[in-house]
Amino acid sequence: MNRTVLTIVQIAIIVALTVACGIIAYFVVSSVTGHQLATASGNMAFSRWQEKFQSLVINTGILSALCALAWFVLTRWIFKINTPRGIGKRTIWAGLAALDLIGCIVIPQFYSSTLGIKTNFLVTVIFIIAFAGVGYWLLTIYTTPNIFKYTPVGAQLLRAGK
Amino acid sequence: MAYYFISIGGSGAKVLEALTHLCVAGAMPTREDLNILAIDPDSGNGNLERSGSALNQFIKFQNLSVGNDTPLFKTKMTLIKPLPWNPIEIDKTLDDLIGFQIYKNSALGSLYEVLYTRRERNTKLNEGFRGHPSIGAAVLAKKYTLRDNRNTQWTDFIQKIKQDTNNGGEIKIFFAGSVFGGTGASGIPTIARLLRNDLSKNDDNSGVRKIISIGGAFILPYFSFTPPADNDKLFAHSENFLTNTKAALKYYAQRDNVFNAMYFLGDSHVTHFKRFSIGAATQKNDAHIVDFYGALAAIDFFNQPADNSRVYNCIFHGDNDKFSWSDFPALEEIENGDAKNFDLRKRFAKFARFIFAYVHFIKPVLRGLASGDIKDYQYPWYVDYFKDIDVVNTGAVKNFEDYTESFVTWLKQLETLPDREVALIKSSMFAARPAQIVNAEDFSSCDGVITKPELTLHEIWYRLSEDFKIYAAVNGYGKFLRRLYEACDAEI
Repeated sequence: MNRTVLTIVQIAIIVALTVACGIIAYFVVSSVTGHQLATASGNMAFSRWQEKFQSLVINTGILSALCALAWFVLTRWIFKINTPRGIGKRTIWAGLAALDLIGCIVIPQFYSSTLGIKTNFLVTVIFIIAFAGVGYWLLTIYTTPNIFKYTPVGAQLLRAGK
Repeated sequence: MAYYFISIGGSGAKVLEALTHLCVAGAMPTREDLNILAIDPDSGNGNLERSGSALNQFIKFQNLSVGNDTPLFKTKMTLIKPLPWNPIEIDKTLDDLIGFQIYKNSALGSLYEVLYTRRERNTKLNEGFRGHPSIGAAVLAKKYTLRDNRNTQWTDFIQKIKQDTNNGGEIKIFFAGSVFGGTGASGIPTIARLLRNDLSKNDDNSGVRKIISIGGAFILPYFSFTPPADNDKLFAHSENFLTNTKAALKYYAQRDNVFNAMYFLGDSHVTHFKRFSIGAATQKNDAHIVDFYGALAAIDFFNQPADNSRVYNCIFHGDNDKFSWSDFPALEEIENGDAKNFDLRKRFAKFARFIFAYVHFIKPVLRGLASGDIKDYQYPWYVDYFKDIDVVNTGAVKNFEDYTESFVTWLKQLETLPDREVALIKSSMFAARPAQIVNAEDFSSCDGVITKPELTLHEIWYRLSEDFKIYAAVNGYGKFLRRLYEACDAEI
């Protein structure tokens, strides 16, 4: 696979996997605690709650995808290596991970109030697992361009088996 | 096919140095081993020390597993020991070496006294023949023919060549040395003739001469120096170089029937060396473009069919004050029985990029990782290729790194000839020691040609991190070097 095709495939994987994570998060939360949260949200109709929750998922998913894509764009086109020192960029990777993680915590807590629905701890945990865990951490491990392929924490173990 | 290269004296050693670098870069015509013999009565001379250093480094890493489908490290070099062969024992004079006491008061002794001045006879020859070929010819002939238990060098050497001829292959022997100094001027005609005679003995009339070709690079004067005025020792005088050369050329034109191929190499522009040295470690002249041509002459000779016909070729260069890639001859190589031309510029530039990339990118990282100063996740190539290699204790790593220094030093000397522009590799590549690339943009066009797409340092790093598909058997450090070498190819 040449580099251009690989780039297209990697971007497609980031988008597709984030969408998949969003769908899974949406259905898991809906089925496990959706009815309870709809009731807690002023006896809101479950379908109405789902509509609003979907918006919450989409926004968190967009943030997560943007973080993963930002990392991809930076490592694929922006960062240039001309000297051998200070090139790991792990701080930037970790910064984006932190942004994603904060988003997974803050968005359910604050954006839900704007939407007028209630969330709980389980929603935060599922969002962290789906968007910060799979949607950023795991995704960046497997989609970071080769030149920075071991920068994401754990990439050496998962990608190289070392 | 068996190749032999015999360097004689300081000029020969400099050609040997250039040939070593070209062998490492894969410029030889076939994968046959190259046997190296060096003759120098001044074992400690700086030129020989430098060429011997590069040669010994290469010998220690030449068997790295880089695959047999690449020009990299293509030609293996074998030393014929002792290297160098020194015909002179310590603190001996010409009288001692000839055994003058035996002939004293005889007719032969008197003739000897007429031919050599008292100073020539009584000067200790620790620093060589001091620009006096008449001394060298006598000593070398005497020592060459001396065959006893302590002097088995030439017996072994001739035996090895005969063994190669018995195996049915062609033998190509190439000499390199000057015609104007002491050792080369006396050694080349003397040793070549004696060797030819020895190899012809005990053979039928048709055999050996046909399959043994002897060639030589005869270095004509291209430098001068000013000796100190108060030095009353015996030493070479550069003002005698042209006279010596004239006599040597006359000899080769009228008397020689030993050589199948002769390459006369010189430079109309005489480089003046400020530092004068009688010999020993201080005789360390910078690499010169003439040495490079000498090495190319050896490669050309090794690629010629072994026959007795004499061919007279001449090579010109376009601009009197400048050397560029177009001034060098086209080279040919034989792979799987097929002969094909290759572009020396492309091959050399790829090799130079490989060395520069290693020195700039890889060496500091390996040092840093070994000392624990940096983390390995930043270097995907290290994780992929080096995890099972003990970088600190693997001799091949150190030898290769030492070699990179030798190569860069040699190339820098070649590029910075006084009063001459040598445009092989951009001189800005040598702005910082040791080969740290100051301007990253120079890397892609280091040979003066802008590569498309641009082969930047970033691109090299990118390629190093990608999967490496190779069909040849490669492993360990050799696999990494091969990866880096392929990453430096401007045409992929």
